[in-house]
Amino acid sequence: MKQLTSHATADYVLHLAWDTEGTRLAVTPATGDVHVLSLLENSTSTRAGQALGNGESAWFQGDLVTSGFDGVVRFTDGSDFRGGKEFIERLKVNSDGTLLGVAQGRFLHVMDAKHNAEFSLRSLPASVSDFAWNPTNPKEVAVVGAGGARMWRLGENQPYAQFDWGGASMQAVWSPDGRWLVTGDQTPSVHIYDFTRSYPLHIQGYDARVSTIAFTSDSTRVATSAGEVITVWPTTGEKGPEGATPLQMDGPQGGTTAAAFSRASGQLAVGDDAGVLLIYTLEGQRVLRKMHRRESGIGCLAWHPSQAILAVGHADGSCALLDLD
Amino acid sequence: MLGMNTTPVTILTGFLGAGKTTLLNRILTENHGLRIAVIENEFGEVGVDHELVINAEEELFEMNNGCICCTVRGDLIRILGNLMKRKDQFDHILIETTGLADPGPVVQTFFADAEMKERLHVNGVVTLVDAKHILAHLDDSDEAHEQIAFADVLILNKCDLVGEDDLTHLEGRIRGINALAKIIRSTNADVPIPAILEIGGFNLDRAMEIDPQFLEPEYPFEWGGIFPVDRKEGTLHTTIAPDPTMGIAMFAVSGADAFAAATEKAVRAFSDDPKHVGPSGTLVADGALAELEIKSGPQTYALKFGDTSHVAVFTEHHPDEFALRFVTEGGTLTALVEKNFKPDHEHDSLITSVGIVHEGECDGRRLNEWLSGIVREQGADIFRMKGVFALKGQPDRIIFQGVHMLIDAANGGPWLNRKRQNTLVFIGRYLDRDSLREGFLSCLA
Repeated sequence: MKQLTSHATADYVLHLAWDTEGTRLAVTPATGDVHVLSLLENSTSTRAGQALGNGESAWFQGDLVTSGFDGVVRFTDGSDFRGGKEFIERLKVNSDGTLLGVAQGRFLHVMDAKHNAEFSLRSLPASVSDFAWNPTNPKEVAVVGAGGARMWRLGENQPYAQFDWGGASMQAVWSPDGRWLVTGDQTPSVHIYDFTRSYPLHIQGYDARVSTIAFTSDSTRVATSAGEVITVWPTTGEKGPEGATPLQMDGPQGGTTAAAFSRASGQLAVGDDAGVLLIYTLEGQRVLRKMHRRESGIGCLAWHPSQAILAVGHADGSCALLDLD
Repeated sequence: MLGMNTTPVTILTGFLGAGKTTLLNRILTENHGLRIAVIENEFGEVGVDHELVINAEEELFEMNNGCICCTVRGDLIRILGNLMKRKDQFDHILIETTGLADPGPVVQTFFADAEMKERLHVNGVVTLVDAKHILAHLDDSDEAHEQIAFADVLILNKCDLVGEDDLTHLEGRIRGINALAKIIRSTNADVPIPAILEIGGFNLDRAMEIDPQFLEPEYPFEWGGIFPVDRKEGTLHTTIAPDPTMGIAMFAVSGADAFAAATEKAVRAFSDDPKHVGPSGTLVADGALAELEIKSGPQTYALKFGDTSHVAVFTEHHPDEFALRFVTEGGTLTALVEKNFKPDHEHDSLITSVGIVHEGECDGRRLNEWLSGIVREQGADIFRMKGVFALKGQPDRIIFQGVHMLIDAANGGPWLNRKRQNTLVFIGRYLDRDSLREGFLSCLA
C-alpha cells in the first residue's frame, strides 16, 4: 500500500465523492469548507461549507453540489435550491447522471440539469432516512424511513413496490444488477428485498445496528458490517442470502464506520472508528486480509471508479489517497 | 455513574403558546458561555446566534416488536449522530418538541439506541405550562397530562396573568399528576438558565432534593391533634370561611400516645360518606366523618365529647385556615400532640405518582423479575420510573430509571453517609399504590 497524498480539512470527514472520471474527489467535512482534490492538476480548491454544517456532496452534470443542515443545496454556478427548512444529509445522482435526488424531511426533491423539480416525491408518509437510485433504471428510486421501503417510478402516483415491517430503515443500497435492495434497520438487522420475488428477507442477529452495506460490482455478494464484525452474504442462489451461509470476518478493533468494494480490484475495504483499515480479498470462501493502522478513526471510504485507489476520510479531518494496486 | 463523560440533553416540551420560543430565545442570547445545539421540530422566530438550531421532522421509529412503548425518534438519531462527530463538541443539546407531541419517543431514543446511550444522556425533561390556559388543557387534553407527567421541571409561565389563589390551586392539580417535578413560577419565561440545563432529572438524588416530602403517604386530611378534655361538652368556633364546608372527625382516645392508632382510624373515617352538620349544629365524638357547613362570619357548633379524658380531631383543612378554636367551660383547648399531614392532591387525572421507601435489602433476581413484569404489563401507562436500591451482596447503590417499557440500571457508587434504603418512584396512569408496594415488599431478601 502506498499513500499517494494526504490532505487536511477542518473537521471529521463525513463524505467522499469521486466524479465519474475519477479525476476529482470532493472531501466533505462535518463543518467547514468542502475540499476538491484534482488528481490531474495535482491541486486543491475549496467551496464554502454550509451554515450549520454539511450534508453529503455530489457531482452532478460535471459540477459539485453541496448540501447541509441549513436546508440548502448549493450549485457550482452560485445558485441554490431551498426546498424546505429541514436539514439535508443525503444527496445522490441517478445512474445516468441526469437527475439529482435530495432528501429533505418528508420530501425527495428530484431535479434535472435545469433544476426543475417536477418529479419530486412530496409529502411522503415519513421522513426520508435514505434513498437509492436503481443502477439499472435511472427513473426508479427507493426511499426508506419509518415503516420500511417504498420503490417509486418517477412520474407515477404510487410506489410500484414496497415493504413495511413495523420498524424503520435507516439506509438503503441497491445492487448494481438491480435485483436487490438492502436496507440497514434501526434495529440490529437488515432487510434484503428481492425484486424478482417481491420478497423482503429479514436478517437479524447482528450485535449492533448495521453501519455499512456494500455490494460487489457484479452483485454476487453484499457486505454488511455491524460493530466489529463484517458479514458477507452471497446473492447468487435462487433465493439469494436466504438459507445461505455467510462469511463472517473479524478484524475491526472499533465500530465499523465504512465499507466499500472496489470496482477495479474487487477488494473490500472496511474502516473503523479506532483507525483500523482492513482490505479483504475474497476468493470463494477464502479470505485474505491486510490490516493498516491509521492515525485517526476512519469516517468514510471511497474507491476510485476505475483504479485500485482508495480515498480514506478520517475523524481528524484528514483525507488520504492510498494506492492498493 | 450515569451520565459521566456524555453530553447532556434537555428535552423542552409544552403546549403551543406556553412560551417555549421565548425561552429558547433567552437560551440562545444569554451569555452563559455554553455551546448549545438546539433541535427544533418546527422553526419559530428563533434567532440563530453562535449556537446551532436544526430543524427536524418528526419521525417515529418503532422497534421490531411493534410496541408503541419502544418507539424512538429516527430523525434525532441521525442528527445527533452527525453532531457527535464534529470537532467542536457541544456542551449541551436542547431538543424542543412540538406542542402536541408525546415526549415519550424523544426520551426513549436515549434509552433504546445503543449509540445514543454511549454518547449522550438525558439531563431532564422541562415542560412549559401556560398558567392562564393550562386548566382548560387539563380538562380536555390527555397530552397536557402526559407532558406534565414526563417533566422533571415544570415552568409555570405567564404567572403575571393569574392570581395567587389560582396559582396555588393549579400547583395542587399539577402535584396530583406529578409529585416529583420541581415547579418554577415565571413571567416571560424568565427563569435561570441553570434551571433548564442543570436539572439532573435522571439523577435520583437530585430528584429527591427537589421535594423530600413527596414520598410521604397522602392523607385525606391536612391536620390532626389530640386534646385533653375536662368536660363532656364544649363548642367549636370559626370566624372565617375560605371554603363553604370542611370535613372533620372526632373520637375518644386514651391519651396523646394513641395518636398513631387514631390516625389510622381517621383514615377509615374519612373514607365514609359524611354526615352534614349545619350552622349551630352538633358534632359528636363518635368517630364518624362530619361535613361542617361553614358560613362566613363567627360560627359556633356544639361539641359532645362524652365520657372521655381525651379526644382526637382530624380536619380536612388546616385549622388555621378557618380559625378553628375548641372551647369548654374551662377555656380554649390546646392540643397535646398535633401533626400536619400531606393531603392527597386533586386526583382529577388518571395519572398519579407513587413513591415507595423501605429499609432492608432486595433480592436482585426477585427485583428484576418484579420490575420486568411491571414494565411488561403496565409499561404503556408508566411514564417515568426512578429508583435507588440496596441489593443483597452488593455494597454499592444500584440506580435505576425507566421510561415506559425501557429500563436502565447502573452502579450508583458507594452509599457513603446516605441511609441504606430502597427508594422507588412511579409516575403513570392507573397506578395501584397498594399493589406496587406489596410487589416491592415481595422483593426483599
